[in-house]
Order: sequence, then structure tokens, then C-alpha cells
Amino acid sequence: MLQDVFNAVVLGSIYLLFALGMALAWGTIGVLNFAHGVTFMFSAFAAHLVADRVALPAPLIVVLAAAMGALISCLVQALVFQSILRRARNPRAAEMQILIAGIGVAVIPLAIAQRLTNGAPFGFGSAAEQAQVYQVGGLRLTTMALVVIVVGLGLGVGLAWWLKASKRGLALRSIGVDPETASLMGANRTSLALGTMAVAGALAGLAGALLTYQLGAISAETGDVLLIKAFAAIVLGGLGSQAGVIAGAYFIAIAETFVIVNNWGTWADAVSFGLIFLMLLVRPQGLFGRREVRRT
Amino acid sequence: MSDWYAANIVLVQSTMTTLLLALSIQLPLRVGVFSFAGVGCYGIGGYAAAICMIRLEMTTWPSIAVGTLLAGAASFLLGLLIQRLNGLYLGMATIAFTLIIAILAVNGGSLTGGAAGLFGALGDLTTGSILAVTLVVVVVFALSETGGLGRRVDAVREDPELAAAMGVDVSRYRRMSFLVSGLVGGLSGALTILLRSSITPAEVNFQLVVLALTVIVVGGFRSWAGALIGSVIFVWLPKALDFVGEWETVVYGVIVVLAALYLPGGVLGLAADLYHRLRSGRRGGETDDEKGAGGADAGPGAVAGREFDQLAVPGEGR
Amino acid sequence: MTAVHATTKPEVPVLEVRDLAVHFGGVKAVDGLSFSLTAGKIFGVLGPNGSGKSTMLAAVTRLVRLTRGELLFGGEPYHHEPPRAMAGLGIARTFQTVRLLEDRTVRENVLLATDDHLIRGRAARRAVAERVDQAIERVGLTKVRRLRPTELSYGMQRRVEIARAIAMNPRLLLLDEPTAGMNRQEREDISALMRGLQAEGLTQLIIEHDVQMMVDTCDHLFAMTTGKLIAEGEPRAVVRHPAVQEAYLGSRHGRGHARA
Ligand SMILES: Nc1ncnc2c1ncn2[C@@H]1O[C@H](COP(=O)(O)OP(=O)(O)OP(=O)(O)O)[C@@H](O)[C@H]1O
Ligand SMILES: [Mg+2]
Repeated sequence: MLQDVFNAVVLGSIYLLFALGMALAWGTIGVLNFAHGVTFMFSAFAAHLVADRVALPAPLIVVLAAAMGALISCLVQALVFQSILRRARNPRAAEMQILIAGIGVAVIPLAIAQRLTNGAPFGFGSAAEQAQVYQVGGLRLTTMALVVIVVGLGLGVGLAWWLKASKRGLALRSIGVDPETASLMGANRTSLALGTMAVAGALAGLAGALLTYQLGAISAETGDVLLIKAFAAIVLGGLGSQAGVIAGAYFIAIAETFVIVNNWGTWADAVSFGLIFLMLLVRPQGLFGRREVRRT
Repeated sequence: MSDWYAANIVLVQSTMTTLLLALSIQLPLRVGVFSFAGVGCYGIGGYAAAICMIRLEMTTWPSIAVGTLLAGAASFLLGLLIQRLNGLYLGMATIAFTLIIAILAVNGGSLTGGAAGLFGALGDLTTGSILAVTLVVVVVFALSETGGLGRRVDAVREDPELAAAMGVDVSRYRRMSFLVSGLVGGLSGALTILLRSSITPAEVNFQLVVLALTVIVVGGFRSWAGALIGSVIFVWLPKALDFVGEWETVVYGVIVVLAALYLPGGVLGLAADLYHRLRSGRRGGETDDEKGAGGADAGPGAVAGREFDQLAVPGEGR
Repeated sequence: MTAVHATTKPEVPVLEVRDLAVHFGGVKAVDGLSFSLTAGKIFGVLGPNGSGKSTMLAAVTRLVRLTRGELLFGGEPYHHEPPRAMAGLGIARTFQTVRLLEDRTVRENVLLATDDHLIRGRAARRAVAERVDQAIERVGLTKVRRLRPTELSYGMQRRVEIARAIAMNPRLLLLDEPTAGMNRQEREDISALMRGLQAEGLTQLIIEHDVQMMVDTCDHLFAMTTGKLIAEGEPRAVVRHPAVQEAYLGSRHGRGHARA
């Protein structure tokens, strides 16, 4: 039982790590980035390619993956999303085009990784060393699982606090609420957006590396699955609320673990899809979100 | 000719079923409904038709009819349920719907064959009959794009409030788009599965959503012709792309991104724009004088500001 | 939708608004507005930015939820009707911002106003086409009817919207700042057009900041601030009204700060 709770918390932290960047970009600059999943995967893949050739300490690999994620994310923003935003007729159309372009962008790194790995899972070689197992009162813990929990929760809470309290965070949040006011406040939309996407991408890369360590290996398609889970976490918590994302991620993980523990494993994925559905129907603004004020 | 036909019959058939699937995603987009439920309906239609044939031992066309209608009904009900949602939320809810269909198929026990799927549902389908059905659908779609209906659909998408002010029942159009999308998606699924004789839950996945979307984005989402162009491109591209070998999917991705970036109306939109420019270009001289008459007046805000100053002499001068 | 100009009895106002209120959260955009529009006249609404004029129009055309109040058209309450019923009642409007279908030609945009799916038969269709061409002619866009809105000047785009509203053959025409962005000549044309429509018995309500034009065009003026009516009556008298003067001068100073 305790072991199940622990596993759920680890799973939730992974969802959280993944969802944080996505929620940040969506909740502030309004970009729902469907390439977030491949950013996650490809950063880990790039780090894997490096780790295959040179033996690097784990922290360095994680940093490498995060940098890679920031780079990918910035490229996508600068080359694709920005020019869509510039040309779109209205926010609604832009939203849709960004989603579609994100899906298109995602195809490219996915195809490259699938081609290079021939569909086989990949890891960081030395992963086995990292996974030291401790026994604490009947609980099986690994170093990596603990790192995932600490980093996930730490970043989640830290980011939520930063957005709430810091001046830049406030400027960023005001873009999400009202782009006009934000530009009056002197927030430079373009560079703020690029910076946001860099952070979101770095978070994706970080999550990619940590998850690869935690699981030993991931495959090219892992990002796709997490994408929907992260979306569910964001919808559940409420767009624009980082605290909501934290709650949403753990809620989904706990619900899924519950389903798996009860041997309904084939239904596990239905939990997140079903939750998306239910939440949107019952309370579209999510648990912590505020109702959007639509202006004409 | 007939040699070519015999060699490519599978591609010809799959062009048509892909077209149907793309149309089922395109129609809601054209009405401004961001719904991918058509792909889930493809799964419903495929499974229902396969079950009818294998378990109920029905013949081909009644099975297809059942699959089509069932998918249409499911989609219509889904539409009623989620019609309050908008934009991305609607899009994600419908993706969730599609993936739930796959999970239901996995857990359907002997009815759906679980994760292994269903086998041996080979329908008695000729290319001619598929072509006939596809033509009927295309004609209906083409009609919906012309005249007043086409304009109303455009208005519902571009500006629902405006459409309402013009007397259009916006929510009825949205509901109808769910129904038709479900029917056509179901039809596509039923035809595909009975041609191929098997279906697995893994086929009804996010990648299928991506494929359908890709077809429309590249071809053009405004018209059935765009869906046709896209279907032809993506069904026949692998043949043309033989030389890039396994990098084919990468080329897909590049094409989609380029289209999303530079061809917001797809290949078809580009053609339509060129056509309009050609036509109005020929009569250009007629319009130049009028264009100037509008004047380079400043925007509304600036003008309004100036008008306030006139209050100092309210009507006195007259 | 047939020609029904001036069929209402003169004593029943075309539109009657009773104690209308529209609140957005804490913002009382419209707060207790009552007025009525008698048939065949041109009414004008003046008011500084943000005084609730457009919101009032949105309420009258049922595009926003009423916090309170009643709306009567030709003596019949209609505030429970959906927005799409306005066309059938005979209420046509333009919007403060240009709202046209960008990929459709001018003529197709105007045709949208007549796209009633109940129109059947050749004769009816021809009558509709004629009405549309007439409306385009009246706003002086016949020459550009095959162009798309994006190929027109701002002033011309505004005129397409007016044509679209006229083509609905309404009993009441509501115009939200139709001449914003137009030059002097174009404004005079719009003014003349409104007079012409009035001669045919059409009741009109226009929102506009150009006081001179309002005084020249309207038979009756309303002045609003902060969601309330502060004066109404004969245009010159309303414009000279101290409360109106103060609202405008006050707002002008206020705006100066806001823009700086
Ligand atoms: N959808 C909305 N949500 C919240 N507040 C709104 C909404 N629409 C209008 N408001 C507010 O209601 C008030 C009245 O706005 P309205 O647009 O009716 O003014 P107006 O008189 O038409 O001004 P203008 O001359 O600038 O057109 C403003 O304070 C505006 O910010
Ligand atoms: Mg206004």
C-alpha cells in the first residue's frame, strides 16, 4: 500500500515535470505547444547520443538535455509560432494554427529519432549505476525516484511562487490575461514569449533526462502519451494556475495507480481522458482556474 | 492503363477512404468547430461494421450502414454533450473521445477482440462501389460549400456573433457538423476495415488524427477539393518518395510545417487566391479611382478624439 | 422578411427599452436605461468612450445577457428571444469594428444578410438579388462589388457593413459608429443615405462621436454617461445641456491622461 502511494507520487512528479513547461507556455503566452512531447523526447535522445560517446556524470547529462530542450523550443517559437502569431487574423485562428503547426513540427524529431533508434528504446547506458535501491521500512526507494520527486515538486512550487511574486512573472501573467495591458506595462511580448518558451523547453528536456534515468530507457513515442496526460493535468487544475497543475498531475497519477493496483490496467489511460472530459463538462475553468472574461 | 490500375488498386481505394476520413475532420473545422471526433467515429464505424460481419454474419453493405449510422449517432450525442466548449478545449475533448474509443476496443472482450482486434471481416467491395459512395459524399459536401449555405457556414466559422445577427442558428450548424462528421468518419472506418478485413485498437490513435489533419492542412481546409488534393498527396507520396527511403516521415513533417506556415489555406487556398487576383486584376482600372476615395483617414480612435473638440461649438455655427 | 416599413401604428414605439441593465461582474456597463423609439425617426446616441453605448446595442440585439430590464419590439416583449431571432423581427445592426468575411467578395458579404434558408423559388431569389444590388448601389460600392474587403479602404469596408444591414430590409436599423474612419465627404454621404432611408419610413438609431453630424442628422438625441441616460430630446438642446457638456469635457480631460 505504502509502496503504491510512493509509486503514485513518483508518477505524479513525472507528469508534473512534463506538464510544468506546457502549462507555463499555455497559461501565459497562450501557446499550447504540441511539440512539447517531442521536445521532451528529443532532448533525452540527444543526451543519449552524447552519453553513448563520452562518459558524463548524470547531472551534466541532465543539464545537457535541459539546454537541448530550451534550444528546440526556442527554434520552434522563433521559426514557427512567432510568424503564425504575426500573421493570424484573430486569436482564435492563431490558436488553431499553432496547435496544427505544433503537431506538424512534432512529426519531424519523432521521425528522426524513430529512424535512428529503429524503434528501440534508448537510455543513458550507465543508468543501472544510478538506480541504487534502498529499503526503508518495507519501502523500495531508488535515488532517481527521490530526485524526481524533489525536483518535480521543487520546480512546481518554485515556478508557481515566481509567477505570483516576481515582477517578471507578473508581466508574464498579464500577457496571458490581457495582451494589451501587458504591452502598456512595457512588457516586450516577443522576447518575453521567447524566454518563456526557452524555460518551457528546458523543463521538457529536464523531464526527459530525469524520466529516462528513472525508467532506465524511453522510446521515441513516450512524449506523445505524456502530452495528453499533461493536458489532462492542466485542464484539471485550471489553465493559468500553476498550483492547479501540481494538484492535477498528482491527482491523475493517484487515480491511475489506483486503477492499476486493482488490476484494471487496460483502463489506466482512460482515467486521464475521462477526467479531461468530466472536468470540461462540469467545471471548464478547472479546480483552481478563474473564469475567463471574454471581451468583445 | 489496366496494368497500372491493377498495380495501384490499393492506393486508389485508400485515396478514397482517406478522403472520407479527411472530410470528416474538415467539416467541423469549416464550421469553426475544432473537433477531431471524426477519427474516433472512424474507429466506431470500423468496429461496428467488422462486428456486424463477423459476429452477426451480416452482408457487406448493411454492415457498413450500421457502422456509419452508429458513428453518426455517437458523434451527434457527443456534440450535444460538449457543445458548450470552445477552441482548444473542444479539440482536446474530442481527442480524448477518440482515444477513449480505442481503450473501449481494448477492453471490449470477445466482442471487439481486445488488444489483438478483429480479423476476417473481408467485405465484398468493388472499387466502383466505393467510388460511387465517395462521389455521393463529395457532391453533398460540394453543395454545402456553394450559395447561401456556403456563406452561412463561413460566417458561423469566422464570426458566430455576426452570423447570429444575420439570423443564422449557429448552434444548429455546430450540432449538424458533429452529426455529418460522425457519419462520414464512420463510413470511412467501415469501408477501410472491410477492405482490409482487420482492425486493431492501435489503429485508432493519435497518429490517425495527425494524418487526417495533415491531409487537410496541406490540401486546404475550406473545400472538399482541398481534402482531395491532400489525400492524393499523402497516399501517393510514399511512392514518389521512394528515393528518400526511410526519411519519408521527416519529409511529411517538413511539408506540414511549411504548409501551416506559408499556406494557411493549403494548396487549394493558394490556387483560389491566385484565381481571384487574376480575375480582379483584369478589371483593376475600374476600381482604382474608388479605392482612393476612401481616403487615408486615420483609424477610428483618432477620429473619435478629434470629434470631441467640436463640442465647443455645438450647433451654434449653423 | 417582406417590406414592412411603417406598418406599425404610430402610437406604438418601434422599440421600447425599460430599465435595461447589463453588468459585467462589477462593471455596470449599462445601468437602468429606459427609452423608446417612435417609428420613422432618426435617433442618435452620444456619450464618451466606455459609457455603455455599444453594450446597450448588444443588449438590444440580444448579444449580451441582460442583468435586468425588458425589451419590446412593436409592443411585443422579445428579451427572451435568441440573437438569431432579431433578423426575423426586423432589427438590423452594424458593429463598431469591421466584421466582414475576408474571403468573400463585397456582394457575397451583403448577400449574407439575405441568406434566409426559407427563400425558395426563382422569383424570390431574383427579388433578393435585386435588393442586394440596390443596397450596394445605395452605399456607392457597385463598382467594387466583386472585390474582397481586404482590397478596400477602411471607409469602404464600413459601407459594406451598412449595405449588409440595409439589405436585411429591417424595420429598425442600428448603427454603431458607422462613420468612424471616414472622411468628411463620406460622412455626408452616409448622412444623406440615412435621410433617404428615413423617407422610406425606416426607423434608425445611430451611435456617433461626431456631434456636428449627429445634430445635422438626428431628429432626437440621447446622451449617456456611465451606463445611464443624462439627457434626451431635440438635438441642439441636448448638446447644449450642461450635464452633457460636462460629461464630454470631463471625459476629454480624463482621456488626455489615459492616452499620455
Ligand atoms: N464583454 C465585456 N466584459 C467586461 N466588460 C465589458 C465588456 N464589454 C464592455 N465592457 C465594459 O463596459 C463598459 C462600456 O463599454 P461599451 O463598449 O459599451 O462603451 P461605448 O460607449 O460603446 O464606448 P466607445 O465609445 O469606446 O465605443 C466599458 O467600461 C467596457 O470596458
Ligand atoms: Mg462602442
